[in-house]
Amino acid sequence: MVNLNSVPPKHGRNFYLALGLEGSANKLGVGVVKHPVLAHHADSDLSHDCHAQILSNIRDTYITPPGEGFLPRDTARHHRNWVVRLARRALDAAGLRDPSELDVICFTRGPGMGAPLHSVAVFARTLSLLWRVPLVPVNHCVGHIEMGREITKAENPVVLYVSGGNTQVIAYSENRYRIFGETLDIAIGNCLDRFARTLRIPNEPSPGYNIEQLAKNAPHKDSLVELPYTVKGMDLSMSGILGYVDGLAKDLFSQNTKNKILFDPQTGEQKVTVEDLCYSLQENLFAMLVEITERAMAHVASNQVLIVGGVGCNVRLQEMMASMCRDRSNGQVHATDERFCIDNGVMIAQAGLLQYRMGNVVKDLAETVVTQKFRTDEVYVAWRD
Amino acid sequence: MKSARSPMLAHTLYLEVPFEDSTQAEIAVKVLEPDPILRPEDFEVDYSSKDRNLCISFKSIDDRVLRVGVSSVIESIKSIIETIDEFK
Repeated sequence: MVNLNSVPPKHGRNFYLALGLEGSANKLGVGVVKHPVLAHHADSDLSHDCHAQILSNIRDTYITPPGEGFLPRDTARHHRNWVVRLARRALDAAGLRDPSELDVICFTRGPGMGAPLHSVAVFARTLSLLWRVPLVPVNHCVGHIEMGREITKAENPVVLYVSGGNTQVIAYSENRYRIFGETLDIAIGNCLDRFARTLRIPNEPSPGYNIEQLAKNAPHKDSLVELPYTVKGMDLSMSGILGYVDGLAKDLFSQNTKNKILFDPQTGEQKVTVEDLCYSLQENLFAMLVEITERAMAHVASNQVLIVGGVGCNVRLQEMMASMCRDRSNGQVHATDERFCIDNGVMIAQAGLLQYRMGNVVKDLAETVVTQKFRTDEVYVAWRD
Repeated sequence: MKSARSPMLAHTLYLEVPFEDSTQAEIAVKVLEPDPILRPEDFEVDYSSKDRNLCISFKSIDDRVLRVGVSSVIESIKSIIETIDEFK
């Protein structure tokens, strides 16, 4: 059994307050979370049910023009420019007049882009010293998982974490979130974003969102464009698929009628549209995800799936996962909406506060150095049985 | 690993940034200190505080590395000052 009440809240209050700061990629997020002290948390395994109250959840995205990705240096500059204003708004929205009331300040230590992570870490360190509030470094992936568990109340799900920088199938076992399968090259969101760049459509608000919108209007949904299907054991590979579909798109734009997949060899008539490519790419990639997720569920004998990360907002992915789960003994799919799927500060506060309640805080600022590589299974999950 | 260590870090710069009081200058030192230098054989930084000043001395192998290193530290200092201004 786990005692989540081992560290009492400040000033003898009956609730905890945490500030969360996220800036590992192009989203900058600040959020404030409140946990009430609940007697049954002293001796239980209820970290997915903290009765968390979200006092504020504010986000600002560094937007690049369609056809361009975000670069670390420019993204870090965006975060530095906005983080103070965003934090002020988040504190005001939470009605927190005296910030030293906070029990803990949580920030993303990794994984992510070094420069943006660092810009937020500098801010977090300064606040911590200014207000004398302890710091907790949080693994970004664990943040997604804990927020998803709290929102959906899924107790022990297989987690599919799909975003612009990560693609992992995760299940909990013996105090670690273990990685069952993952991408061997690029992340799914990266694959979708880069295809979107080829199509010159924007990547707002989440990876693959505009591809999803185009795919809805695909005229030939009954005949999929055949793409490479690259599941390797429990892992995936997506760079080859991207290269292939990029090539098809370029042939389409240049009206290369020699391409027999896109144009009828006799009449030269176009058989496939951009929307069809988007649809086929989604179906193909998501089928791969569903396959490895199902295998992980069989391994750990679970019938719940939790989808987290920016690509997790995709309704088609949620549908496909749901139909797999229905076929498997009444399984359930849990997903959250864009407030929590897309990177945000609240999820960092949620995971960080759980860490804090188990007595895990920074004792030396050397522990706050950010890291681009920080695997999900490196974190010791003290707050679960 | 190169065995010939720290040959010539001949390009140097010394900066003093005044803060409102010594506590703020000490905060700045503590915030800046933990981050490791990517190429310690080419670039060195030393942070300290004297009265209400943040004192930084840079040493570098050439002027380009010096400029890049210094400007990145200055960006962080700007961020610290803005944070202190807003939330002190």
